[in-house]
Amino acid sequence: MQGQPLLRTALMAFTALFIVFLYGPLAVLATLSFQSGPEGGPQFPIIEWSTYWYQHLFGWAPPSRVAPLQLGNALVRSLSLAFMTMVAATVLGTLSAQAFRSRFRGSGVVFYLIVLGMMVPGVLVGLGVALVANSLGIPRTWWGTSFVTHVVYTFPFAFLVMLAIFNRFDRSIEEASWSLGVSPIRTFRKITFPLIFPGVLSAMLFAFTLSYDEFPRTLFTAGGDQTLPLTIYGTFSVEIHPNIFAFGVLTTLFSFALLAVYGILMALSVRRAKRVAIQEELR
Amino acid sequence: MTLLLELSGIAKSYAGAAALADLSLAVGAGEYISILGPSGSGKSTMLRVIAGFETPDAGDVRLEGRSILAMPAHERGIGFVFQGFALFPHMSVADNVGFGLRNRSRSPVTDEAEIRRRVAEALELLGLTGLGARAVSQVSGGQKQRVALARTLVADPKIVLLDEPLGALDANLRERMMIELKRIQSQLGGTFLHVTGNEQEALAMGGRVAVLDQGRIAQISPPQTLYNQPGSVRVARFLNCYNIFQGTVGDGAFRFTDAALPLPGAAAAGAAAYCIRADKVTVAEGEEPAGPGEAGIAGRFIAGEYSGARVTYLFDVAGSRPVEVEYHLSHRRPRSFEAGRRYALRWPAADALVFPG
Amino acid sequence: MTIEAEMTMTKAAPARTGRGRTGWRVAALLAAPGALWMTAFLVVPIAMMVYVSFWTQKTFTIEPVLTLQNWASFFGTSTYLSALWTTVRIWLIVLATTLALGYPVALYIGLFVRNKTIQTILLVVCVVPFWTSFLIRILAWRPMLGTEGAVNILLMKLGVIAEPIGGLLFTELSVVIGMTQIYVVFMVGPIAFMLSRIEPSLIEAARDLGAGTGRIFRTVILPLSLPGVIVGAIFVSVMVLGEFATAAALSGRKVNMLGNIIVTQVGSLKWAFAAVVGVILTVVMGVVIAGLLRLVDLRKEL
Repeated sequence: MQGQPLLRTALMAFTALFIVFLYGPLAVLATLSFQSGPEGGPQFPIIEWSTYWYQHLFGWAPPSRVAPLQLGNALVRSLSLAFMTMVAATVLGTLSAQAFRSRFRGSGVVFYLIVLGMMVPGVLVGLGVALVANSLGIPRTWWGTSFVTHVVYTFPFAFLVMLAIFNRFDRSIEEASWSLGVSPIRTFRKITFPLIFPGVLSAMLFAFTLSYDEFPRTLFTAGGDQTLPLTIYGTFSVEIHPNIFAFGVLTTLFSFALLAVYGILMALSVRRAKRVAIQEELR
Repeated sequence: MTLLLELSGIAKSYAGAAALADLSLAVGAGEYISILGPSGSGKSTMLRVIAGFETPDAGDVRLEGRSILAMPAHERGIGFVFQGFALFPHMSVADNVGFGLRNRSRSPVTDEAEIRRRVAEALELLGLTGLGARAVSQVSGGQKQRVALARTLVADPKIVLLDEPLGALDANLRERMMIELKRIQSQLGGTFLHVTGNEQEALAMGGRVAVLDQGRIAQISPPQTLYNQPGSVRVARFLNCYNIFQGTVGDGAFRFTDAALPLPGAAAAGAAAYCIRADKVTVAEGEEPAGPGEAGIAGRFIAGEYSGARVTYLFDVAGSRPVEVEYHLSHRRPRSFEAGRRYALRWPAADALVFPG
Repeated sequence: MTIEAEMTMTKAAPARTGRGRTGWRVAALLAAPGALWMTAFLVVPIAMMVYVSFWTQKTFTIEPVLTLQNWASFFGTSTYLSALWTTVRIWLIVLATTLALGYPVALYIGLFVRNKTIQTILLVVCVVPFWTSFLIRILAWRPMLGTEGAVNILLMKLGVIAEPIGGLLFTELSVVIGMTQIYVVFMVGPIAFMLSRIEPSLIEAARDLGAGTGRIFRTVILPLSLPGVIVGAIFVSVMVLGEFATAAALSGRKVNMLGNIIVTQVGSLKWAFAAVVGVILTVVMGVVIAGLLRLVDLRKEL
């Protein structure tokens, strides 16, 4: 399709506009976070450029009529929940993907059962879990009911990532290891796992990201203590201030930092694995 | 020769299609057996069943007299060299070779010095000295093959299975590796089972050659016997050096199209296949009649193919695929023929093979 | 010489799939924890929701006395029926907008950009906005779409309009815009992935045979990208049908989707009624997904 310069330019322009569309709110967000406060609201025009709302976020601003957001605890809870979810989802995802390397009876059912987890909207799962918890007398907690629901959501993603990795994995090196007298468990430890580790990292990143920002499922299952998205949702019906935008900017920067860490880890592990065993077609 | 490995009645199907059907084989200790079969004939499946990577649907595998059918692959003590080498990409050459010694479940070697010594020995045996520290991606294809072999041999397996080990190598390398393999096997006195789709490789390597066809062993014999006297038309076809004519046996001769060829011996009347090896055929001028004890047909010259030690001439013969005539240049001079001209193809009648059906 | 060589009568054995009979027990064992987890924490809750939808709703509690009262209320009240209609309508609109917006972009990234690195960079660029909390991004649309918002200011500065457009915020349009922006990436991703798998030689061959661009698109590109479109449609549909936050933030309570109803009902402890709405949403979802899945074999595409 390279020989279609007109079409290519048109599509390139379209894509550029598209990216502007995607980033529009972010740009607005970032700009308004530098609104002056406490009188300045989350709308244009900018009264005066200042870092007031950043200071307000951390509680360093002098007291005003705008109450500080109670983000500290919520942030800790979100991070912990995301971490727990990441571990559980990745373990389940890897185990299940490993299972799917062989055919077993009912594998079709299990496959769709797992994938179902990412296809059911959060409201429904959250509602269902809340109902079950209520009728069984189990209290709703972010580390209990929310946790299991988060895993239901993220485990299918981890599963699909690992499935794709295993599909490209050359099984003959595992067989080679067995033929040398090495037990299957030890083979997994020393051969399989080091080579699928980049995939495992991706699955972990996926699960963490999905859980950290997860909202509808958590709404019904978190109980009293809120996670970060719930706290932000709480401000929807109340008056909004640019401190929420300042928070958005900071979390985006934090995500960039996370990605940098992920990138470094990936580069290190890929270099160690030299080359992931990919199935070659000989003949 | 003591019996080392015995397969009896092995059957294995995939999704309804049978890869192996009633396969039986007896391998003695110290033998080098090559298994010849075209792609899809089930030869890899056979090796995988022996190694324990697949479970057969029926039949038994006995090693040193005991059935190993229920034994998992890592307990069988059977070495396997893969066509794709299957080297561990995240380890160096030396670590690859030493991996089995360090990590096997039965008596792993704990003394590092011992491991290093044995690895060095194996590397030397295979001409890889000095490459131990290299990464797997930094050695050539032929060297990778030898690393795979070293890795298998250092673990002292009872029997070594080679699944088309030379398939991924270019022709030159293949020739050299064939000699290497024979040398190593006789030096170590091990038992090798070498699977290949290349008939020349099979004939060169094996003390006995087994032809695998339709999931069972069609014939197993020393290479000369196989080459001179294939037991059936199908085996003759696999050997790739036989001209085969389809016709009928009747009135004391073999007839196809206009030709009538004398029979080498008694043959049942009815449909039959007549086989004559390409290097038994001579080309004579024009319409010379066949001499006593000779069989002959006429053919039009098409082309000649020169391949170093021999030339193959192709002749168009009515009612048949092009007939090949091989001249081995060590004992015959090459000839030049005119394209499209008729020549007389002659061979000793007694050298032909006739199979019913 | 290989004239007679490959006269094989045997069929090629199909690709080896598993370790044989001994392997499947271990495999089933490995798959068990995941399957159990999903059954306990997904299947059971949904089943519970269906069950509870038939319970009797008291003022602040529910009792396991089965009744069809809640169902009757739903279908008898126009507010709720219109919420159902709104949900379906918005779903279809957003599906159309994300497809219209996403397909050309996917076309560019997947087909026209041949350099793998640039492809990855472009896709990362599209994904980066996701690292800002979804809720904050929705909030950011308010100062954009209001009468004194960024869009209006920009359009007036450019001289495109004289008066600010009032209907951008707190309408169904703002909800559609917000949702499109959030979910369009889920369209771009799968489609770009499928398009990048198309061999350039395929298109060259079509061109050599004399096909024009339009024809190539219709007969080669479109069919090959279809699995990506379906996967994208499934993702977008799942998210839009279950949506309530965007509607809550950008429509000022004017737009009520089924998700909003569930949230408000739960807020007033009307669990049984919320369950009814939930079941209806599930049915809608089920029909949509089943229909879309009929068009692509998920397992094969991996």
